Amino acid sequence: MRRFTILFALLVAIIPACAARPGDRLVYGLTLAPSGIDPHVNASSELGIPLTAVYDTLVYQDLSCNCFVAGLAERWEVSDDGLVYTFYLRQDIVFHDGIPFDAEAVRYNLERITSDDLASQKARFMLGPYDHAEVVDDYTIRIYLGEPFTPLLDALSQVYLGMASPAALAEWGEEYQLHQVGTGPYIFAEYVPGDHLLLRRNPDYAWGPEIYANETAQVEEIEFRFFVDPATRSPALETGEVQVMGEIPPQDASRLSESDDFAIVPAAVPGVSLMLFMNTARPPLDDVLVRQALLYGTDRQAIVTAIFADTSPVAYGPLAAATLGYEPAVQGMYPYNAERAADLLERAGWSDSDGDGIRDREGEPLVLDLYLMSWGYMPEIGQMAAAQWRAIGVDTVSQVVSYPEALSIASEGTHHLIPFTLSGSDPDILRKFFHSQALFNWSGVNDPEMDFWLEEAAQLGDRQQRVALYSRVQRQVMQQALVIPIRDYVNLNGISRRVQGLRFDAQGWFPQLIDVTLEDR
Amino acid sequence: MTPSYLARRFFHALFVLWLSATLAFIALQLTPGDPAQALLAASGATADQVAARRERLGLDDPWLVQYLRYISDLARGNLGYSWLHGRPVGRMVLEQLLPTAELALAATAVGVALGLGLGVLAAVRQGTWVDVAATAVAAVGLSTPTYWSGLLAILFFSLQLCRFPAGGEGGLRHLVLPAAVLGFALSGSIARMVRARVAEVLGAPFVLAARARGLGARRVLLVHVLRAAVGPALAVTALQFGFLLGGAVITESVFARRGLGRLAVEAILWQDLPVVRGVILVGAVAYVLVNWAADVLQAWLDPRLWEERV
Repeated sequence: MRRFTILFALLVAIIPACAARPGDRLVYGLTLAPSGIDPHVNASSELGIPLTAVYDTLVYQDLSCNCFVAGLAERWEVSDDGLVYTFYLRQDIVFHDGIPFDAEAVRYNLERITSDDLASQKARFMLGPYDHAEVVDDYTIRIYLGEPFTPLLDALSQVYLGMASPAALAEWGEEYQLHQVGTGPYIFAEYVPGDHLLLRRNPDYAWGPEIYANETAQVEEIEFRFFVDPATRSPALETGEVQVMGEIPPQDASRLSESDDFAIVPAAVPGVSLMLFMNTARPPLDDVLVRQALLYGTDRQAIVTAIFADTSPVAYGPLAAATLGYEPAVQGMYPYNAERAADLLERAGWSDSDGDGIRDREGEPLVLDLYLMSWGYMPEIGQMAAAQWRAIGVDTVSQVVSYPEALSIASEGTHHLIPFTLSGSDPDILRKFFHSQALFNWSGVNDPEMDFWLEEAAQLGDRQQRVALYSRVQRQVMQQALVIPIRDYVNLNGISRRVQGLRFDAQGWFPQLIDVTLEDR
Repeated sequence: MTPSYLARRFFHALFVLWLSATLAFIALQLTPGDPAQALLAASGATADQVAARRERLGLDDPWLVQYLRYISDLARGNLGYSWLHGRPVGRMVLEQLLPTAELALAATAVGVALGLGLGVLAAVRQGTWVDVAATAVAAVGLSTPTYWSGLLAILFFSLQLCRFPAGGEGGLRHLVLPAAVLGFALSGSIARMVRARVAEVLGAPFVLAARARGLGARRVLLVHVLRAAVGPALAVTALQFGFLLGGAVITESVFARRGLGRLAVEAILWQDLPVVRGVILVGAVAYVLVNWAADVLQAWLDPRLWEERV
């Protein structure tokens, strides 16, 4: 036995211990292994983290002015009827394979994205009522729409509509995602699905938008690896295997942020906050008093403290505070007040007549069906909320289901409550949830006025007018108590202190890797 | 091994594959949810666009039509295209097969070595503290979930001792921890089986005879007893292959390794049915092959089985 111990000790001694990786290479931990990473085809947010550096987009969003700035297009015009967008392209841009970028390349990309054969899961739909594109001359392209669609620029500023080399697209076909070619500050060097993705600095890059601080990238190579299990993320950072890691669990984040070697870079993600949709089409939630009671009876602060270690803001309305057009007036609505909740339930005719702790009306107990998905801390949130509702005499039956199953339950309307969250920088995202015809109309809302506001706001060119309409929508959603907002999404990025300059773009998810530097230590 | 035996085994294997392909198809048809909606809902597609995608994926066809299309594609070696990634399933599965096979093999080696060692040790020192300790270790291996032991291994060997990388691939060093964790889990049932078998054999007449012929205890143990014990260990290992594949799913995710497991999990979550079916089929093929190999090896080790089959 002793011999074994000695042998083991020897073995441990001869294997080299953790050492910082030499050279100019950054390892970046992703949290999904997106085997599908063609930005024109696939939909994950994860794919944009590396690929935003591989592709350039026609325009960019500048967070400091909340406006769009030049990218591949140096300027653009929108026709008065909002149906025709003309982009004047820069003439000094080449793809990583040496082919010059021009209007024909843009047309080729748009054609690919909108073709039925590609079966795009996201990019196609971001283009909304896109009709066709026309090459006016070598460096001018026009996009024609079927109806006005103001979120178009927002869409064109995202990597899903990044411009790829037509030659590479034609050459690689269905395997293009393993051989991507863009015009961005990093070159797509190697991708082994599920294992790693390697980017190499593009030394010729000189056409970055003004939102980039540097002219070319500073780190020679960036390797992305995938850490699906949340518990393994902070160990990988602490062993020095990665220098940046996305989506650190909140409890680990609090610990890491107190360390001298690591820091947390929180990135607020705009879009629709994590919230519980209340099905207004199914009794007893057809009664606004019951819905308001649930809102008053939910201690969101307690949930955010317990589950998110106060790392993300409490949500008060349907839009995350980081989203354009966020209406702060929702903040004062529905502060936690269990007595008020009980009061509202009494007024709605629900009282505990048999003394079992659960309210009832006409012999029916107040029981709600709650469906949860396994991601985004939904089971934990559901459990805490259910305990809080029990205190006001509301019982729940909860069940964890897969995403496809949740979608079909919600479209059949057999739920009372389902949580969801979705990222997106344009407030048009509200249309996906609160328009009567929306696929995510999980609240079962059917409000012609709100439909009109949402449709109108998607077509108006004037930003202030849009924001005013979205503000009405947000107030209406909360007055009607359609949802119980819980928290805004914040991506907790853990970094080694060797990493400097990590900032995220308007989507909240995508880093501007060109400005990242790695110090030797 | 006669030709007729081999032919029988071959048709048996074909039947098993057809059955698993069919069961996979039926099980997936029964799962609630609409894959087209899952793919497109969050992107702002309209209900009409989702319906068009459903039709394109052939999901509107009657079950029987879908089934026949699937089976006839399969018969021609075509596993179809992933709905999520838009790539050929065959190529995607192949990419992930090797890392999983590497982990499964290494874990099997660790499991068999550890299981044999613990089992023999416990049997030889029956009733002593060594037996109790070895049996206890086996029990811990059997009952510890790999996502927990994996994390412990990372915390201790990677974070505290800094000896092994916490995850990823790249040579033997990256393989050590996951193979040890999965192999340890596998060793429990092997150790139990070996202990029982060795204890039985130690009292058998042929061992007594060997001892009576004056052979040393070590030689008897190594040649006669072990030979008898390896067979059952092999059988258990082959039967545990399913567990190994399942365990690989979790181990892969804990150690950030690519592999079939993660491919399967993602495909199941998104109802990417062609990929799920592809992974199940590859698993079935592997299962058939492994059990076949174990049969042959066992027959070679134990002539009685050989004769039964000839």
